[in-house]
Amino acid sequence: MEPEVRVEGGSMIRVAVVAIGEMPAAHFRDYVAMLVQHTKIPLSSVSPYYTEHQKSPFSQQPWETGSLMLKFMVGGASRSPWEDFQAHRKILGVIGLCHCPLTPEISAAYEQFLTICKAYPSAQVTRCFAFHPTDGQIEVDDEKKKEFLVMFPSTDRQELKVHMQTLMKDFAASLLMAFESWVLHLKPVGLTTPLDSQVSLNSDELTKKRKLGRVQKTMGDYCLLAGSPSDANSHYYTAIELARLTGDSLWHAGAIEGYVCANVLDQNGYKDSLLEQEVQYRYSEVIHLYRKATALSFELEATLKLARFLCRKELAKDVVELVSGAVEWSKSLMDASDRLVVNVEAARIFAAIGYDRKAAFYGRQVALLYQQQHSHWASVSALQVMSLTAESYKCLSKAEGRDKQVGEWSTLQVDVLYDMLSAAVRAGDALAAWNAAARLLRNHYPLIPPSSQLTLETALSMSAERLAPGTRSSEPAIPFVRLHSYTAMPADREIVKRTATKNEWWMGRTSTGPFIYTPFTAKGDVNTRIPVTWVVGEPVEVLVELANPCVFEVTVESIALSVEHDQFEAFPVSVTLPASSGQVVSLSGLPLAVGSLTVRGCIVKCYGVVTEHLFEEVSEWGSVKGTALVDPFRSGHKVRQPAQYEKVEVVPPLPLLVARAVGGEGAAVLYEGEIREIQISLSNAGVVPVVEAHMTLTGKQLQHVMSIGHNVLEDALPLPPGATVVVPVTLKAGAPTPDVDFRKLMRTVTNASSPMLVIHYAGPSLTEGAQAPPGRRVALPLQLHVLKGLALVQAKLLSMEVAANISSSISDPLAHESEESLVKMDPYRGSWGMRLLELELWNATDVLFEIVVTTKEADDGGRLVEDSECLYPPTRIDRDYAARVLIPLERFKLAGLDKASLARASIRKESMLKDDAKSKDGAERQAKAELNTAIEELSSKICVRWTSGRNSAGELPIKDALREALKASVLKILLPDPLTFGFRLAKTSITAPTLRSARDSGDLDNLPGSPRVGLQKVEADDGGLSADNKGGIGVRELAPIEMLVRNNTNEAVNMTLSVTCRDVTGTSCLGSTGSKATVLWAGTLDGVNVEVGALGEVVHRFALCFLVPGQYTLLGSAVIDSQPTHETLSYTGPPFAVHVVETS
Amino acid sequence: MSSTACFVIVSRNDSPIYESEVGTAPKKDEAAHLHQFILHASLDIVQDVVWNTNNMFLKLVDKFNDLLVSVYVTAGHTRLMLLHDSRNEDGIKNFFQEVHELYIKMLLNPLYVPGSRITSPFFDTRVRALARKYL
Repeated sequence: MEPEVRVEGGSMIRVAVVAIGEMPAAHFRDYVAMLVQHTKIPLSSVSPYYTEHQKSPFSQQPWETGSLMLKFMVGGASRSPWEDFQAHRKILGVIGLCHCPLTPEISAAYEQFLTICKAYPSAQVTRCFAFHPTDGQIEVDDEKKKEFLVMFPSTDRQELKVHMQTLMKDFAASLLMAFESWVLHLKPVGLTTPLDSQVSLNSDELTKKRKLGRVQKTMGDYCLLAGSPSDANSHYYTAIELARLTGDSLWHAGAIEGYVCANVLDQNGYKDSLLEQEVQYRYSEVIHLYRKATALSFELEATLKLARFLCRKELAKDVVELVSGAVEWSKSLMDASDRLVVNVEAARIFAAIGYDRKAAFYGRQVALLYQQQHSHWASVSALQVMSLTAESYKCLSKAEGRDKQVGEWSTLQVDVLYDMLSAAVRAGDALAAWNAAARLLRNHYPLIPPSSQLTLETALSMSAERLAPGTRSSEPAIPFVRLHSYTAMPADREIVKRTATKNEWWMGRTSTGPFIYTPFTAKGDVNTRIPVTWVVGEPVEVLVELANPCVFEVTVESIALSVEHDQFEAFPVSVTLPASSGQVVSLSGLPLAVGSLTVRGCIVKCYGVVTEHLFEEVSEWGSVKGTALVDPFRSGHKVRQPAQYEKVEVVPPLPLLVARAVGGEGAAVLYEGEIREIQISLSNAGVVPVVEAHMTLTGKQLQHVMSIGHNVLEDALPLPPGATVVVPVTLKAGAPTPDVDFRKLMRTVTNASSPMLVIHYAGPSLTEGAQAPPGRRVALPLQLHVLKGLALVQAKLLSMEVAANISSSISDPLAHESEESLVKMDPYRGSWGMRLLELELWNATDVLFEIVVTTKEADDGGRLVEDSECLYPPTRIDRDYAARVLIPLERFKLAGLDKASLARASIRKESMLKDDAKSKDGAERQAKAELNTAIEELSSKICVRWTSGRNSAGELPIKDALREALKASVLKILLPDPLTFGFRLAKTSITAPTLRSARDSGDLDNLPGSPRVGLQKVEADDGGLSADNKGGIGVRELAPIEMLVRNNTNEAVNMTLSVTCRDVTGTSCLGSTGSKATVLWAGTLDGVNVEVGALGEVVHRFALCFLVPGQYTLLGSAVIDSQPTHETLSYTGPPFAVHVVETS
Repeated sequence: MSSTACFVIVSRNDSPIYESEVGTAPKKDEAAHLHQFILHASLDIVQDVVWNTNNMFLKLVDKFNDLLVSVYVTAGHTRLMLLHDSRNEDGIKNFFQEVHELYIKMLLNPLYVPGSRITSPFFDTRVRALARKYL
């Protein structure tokens, strides 16, 4: 059986094409390609070369419309035993092709050609075409006669084609003349077929008739070959009649076939249903006859011919029946190659009517038949057929077949791929084997059991060994590669787009930080594409996700970015992926030219083969429904829609500022409140000068940055490449940072609690009108590591009391306001207004601190300016010591803190607005507010500065603590007492004898002197007491003293007064033996009951006689007995000093 | 008597969503795939035949050697395909109708995405029971 049989096959003239001499395959292909253009040679063009030697037997030859059909059997063909039966099976011509430059001995080559021709005795016409002969060869040509040698002159291809055309016309004419003579001299002898040997012929008559019929049929065959179907028809007609009569069914069928062929040719390619019906009818007869003649292969051939003839979508049903029948019958064919041919034909016919799946099925059958042959060439053919069918089963990678989701039948795909793998292994095609195994693993790993996966891995590595290093394949294998993200520029190289029109171009374009995604930028369209900008000459990074879902470890020998742009240098890395794992790998590269580029995927070298993995290919994996294979990136995290990126924009080189803090790793260690200047060094590491630069502060705690050397930077611009400028920044440490491990200090650079120095800078803008190159942004965290410095233990407002000297007169307390002395004396209570702020500070550090207190004054602009003058000499606090710093408030001149004014205000208010509770509340509130503002003012005015060592100095941040402390203690001190006590010497004196008696009795309490209001008038003794008053009271003198008790409340109170007197300055009280000090004398006068009206004053007179000179203190106190249910309230007045002097 | 039968449901986009060997003949791995190859190939014919009939049951559409292919097409163009070697047309028709009902029940499951693989063991058990009953 032969492949590609057609109804019209009877008109094909077989010509063997053979190579003569040395013939490289490429040249042979080239010459054959020129030759096969002449398969159809019109009779009209043949006529010039045709000479009618005798009367032509083809009387009805259509010279105008007909043509000769040539069928070139490249490489020759074996002789068929059926040559007599069908003339078109004969080799009727031989063409030798000779490549002269490689065949110097042209005569020897010609000899070879003649030998070859002898193998084809049926060949009527032979030609040997010699191409590109040398001059020497042309000369040699003349010596000996070589009838059929044709030398082509060495010219260009076009001319060669013209020559070839002419020669082929001549060749066709020669064939035609040969057929004529053949038909004229045809004798009815020896026309036998292999079947005839078995048939014994009965009678001579029958044999003769049969022979006649066979001769008629053969003549018809030649008429067909000569392109004259009408002549053929008449011969066939006779042949059919004769064959039917003689029962020669094989030849009968052959004659009908020829008849149909002639009919079809007569229609000249025009097909209609009538013709189709006729052909169908005739062929059914043919098939029947062949079956009768037990010529199975002819029967199948006829069936396939008919099927091919009917090959039309509308007749698909008939075709399918015919072909399936043929295939089924072919099972009984003896010859394996015949079965192969039937399957091949079935596949071709199904493909022709658009039944791809059927075609693929039979294609696979063909491949399986090839594989049964166990020869190398059969395996190669099997592999070729397999790769064709693989396409139909959609086994190919996505790059080749886009519609992967439709019609995927994975079971079959796996089968086909396994077949391909085994065929490739047998055929020794390592690359095909590699591809098949790679496809299996990549596309079908969930369906492949672990043991088979290991086998496939072995297949991969085995084929890799046989492949040349650096072999490329279009087939991506594992691992799966997916784009994870483009790494944003590091924070110190961030790019900021700028518009030429805007002066402050960085405004509103503040970076989103290290995050590519922010909820603000992505709140609109989900498909928002993120722009990516790269800079020429600066390395870039892309994160790529790798996944290995298989059960074996995959070693990726190298993986690098693949970019649609040759101006990109990718740096490969190698990765090892354990079984069933995923990994994110950072791939870097270097853009080399300006423009826009796309990162397509990765070039991966794995198992010895270089493949390109495209990103988009894998992104489809998740969307495959139905037959969904498991997502290979399942390890660890959810299926994620990768971010959408725009094309990567590569911009020209930009300046690159490197910012760092001089002399530190960006982290200054400071004590709380310390002020220090740090140096920021900015150097241009790029290749473009920095033309503009702007420093701004962002982040938290901006108040800690006191000044930035803007002008230093301005002066340094433009900053050429390689240059460095140092910018000073003054920092003030705030609250102590939580304890940080010093080893991790570097890692806390991103600590958000520190202020950031952000510098926006840009290179020179290009020519006018062009898009300005983007600027850049560098951020340097002004990392402060603040240690706890001095601790404020507590702050107290103290009222210092200095005992007032008793005197004979009390001046109006309110009149003392204007006095400017440091210590104001209140006649009622000694010193007043002498208030101190006590700060108790604890030095918990291991250095020494010195404290200076200064004041701040509001200047014209309302800002607080520090007074350079210290209030007092520095206080030194050693480590682990506490110290108290006293600040006299007098210096601060605070109106609100004046007790007297406060008292006055309260008195005034109370007297005026006695009944109006509401207004009283308001007044109180007002007073409170006044007080608060006073405290606020005070706390902001006090500035406690410290110095430590040589170069660290700062200010204690005690404002808040101070305020709290003041609030707590101010009321206690500043509010007026309900009762005030005062002592004064009375004008009257008591006579000495009384005094003496009183001294004798030892009871001063019983001294005369009325405790009652409305005292008895005592005769005034002008004996110089008043004069002595300043010097003190004389000893052993009865000193009349008046105690004034004033009620500051607006209620009348009953109270019991008492006066305590004690000696505080006995000579033994002071000195080193203070522990043994004894109060020399003490006494109490009590039990004086008085009632004082609201805001009233009472004077209690009494007299004292001091026996020992010295300093005494008088203290008045009162116990108020209000309602019996209430607790008794007691008040004590301030001490009064009495100086007792010795009088002679 | 052992019989060969291979039942496959092919979704409208030509992907198999359910496959099972329901025959009683001893199962051969090679043969199983051959059955599927035959069924896959006969899809070509089915796609032509569906236009020429109003019935859902397309009867015999294809054969390969002694294996026959019967097909039943649902309204949603899901094809129930049976490869068999017995000529029991009524039984096959009943089998298809019952499986179609089963398939509809499957579709009613809100968690089942039409066109995706049927993995329900219940469905499988029922189909095998039907095959035993009718084939």
